[in-house]
Amino acid sequence: MKNTNHINHDDFEKWLRGHVESLPEPEVSAEFLAAQRRSIYRLLDKPRPNRAAMRWALSLAMLVLMFAGGLTLERRHKAAPAVPVTLSDDQLFSDLNAMEQTSEPKAIQPIHGLFQE
Amino acid sequence: MMGAMADSLGANLAAMADTREFGAQFGAWMASEQRRIYLLCRRMLQDGEDADAATQDTFLKAWQALKRPESKNLDDAGKWLTRIAVNTCLDRLRSRRWQFWRKRPKAEDESAILNLAAATAPNAEDQFFARQIAQRLSRAVTRLSLRQHAAFTLRHYEDRSLTEIAEILNLDVGTVKVHLFRATEKLREELHDLYFHDREEHEKHKPHKP
Repeated sequence: MKNTNHINHDDFEKWLRGHVESLPEPEVSAEFLAAQRRSIYRLLDKPRPNRAAMRWALSLAMLVLMFAGGLTLERRHKAAPAVPVTLSDDQLFSDLNAMEQTSEPKAIQPIHGLFQE
Repeated sequence: MMGAMADSLGANLAAMADTREFGAQFGAWMASEQRRIYLLCRRMLQDGEDADAATQDTFLKAWQALKRPESKNLDDAGKWLTRIAVNTCLDRLRSRRWQFWRKRPKAEDESAILNLAAATAPNAEDQFFARQIAQRLSRAVTRLSLRQHAAFTLRHYEDRSLTEIAEILNLDVGTVKVHLFRATEKLREELHDLYFHDREEHEKHKPHKP
């Protein structure tokens, strides 16, 4: 394998230039150029869309989309069903009553159990 | 090639905007520059269809720019148009980098390059070698950076001076030199085997001195 460092930069450039110059230009037919000119004339006649306005419209559309997405998410969050209530009213009132009657919180009861024989 | 038409286009364009004369002059100027611009785009993009679209885009941009009331007289309309074409091609090449499905030139464009290369070579071996160089060169050029690619194309295919390339690419002459040097270095790495092969063949066929 020959090292590329052995090639002189100027020699290589000369060689490359020689080969590039020897490549003939691709053939471009008069018909092709005429058809291309017709397309260009059609484009020149057609009013060009206002790119700045299009950019604004696109930004606005994105903003509206983001706002709508946010709104939908918020509504879904609000409309989420509450935790189903399994306690009946009677049960709730009796629990509240029991809490009112005892001077100590329920959490202490297991500790009392330790000292009872 | 800048003719009298292009020179006259540069003068008093703003005054002529919206007139029939302007349209006629633009049409004549376009016809005189169209082939050169198309070939430049084709060399930059290595794709016939893309080059066609880029050429149309270039003239459309030129038309739009010339019709603006603030458009000033152009000293060198050809160079100005080349700058538009190069920038259009660079934009297309930049967006092409995202198009991972089309990394290689189309098969028909590649075969057109190969046939062209072979057409000028005298014998079968030379034709084969010319094809190889054309193929490898067209692939190697796509691996250059965008600026290197543009500088190389303008220098070697358009035969532009360093100053002209600097003006077209809106760079310093020194930066253009660096881009060209690096482009040649990269191509040297890519094509060194062909260079050695060519040198060896050249040495073989050289007449021996008694």
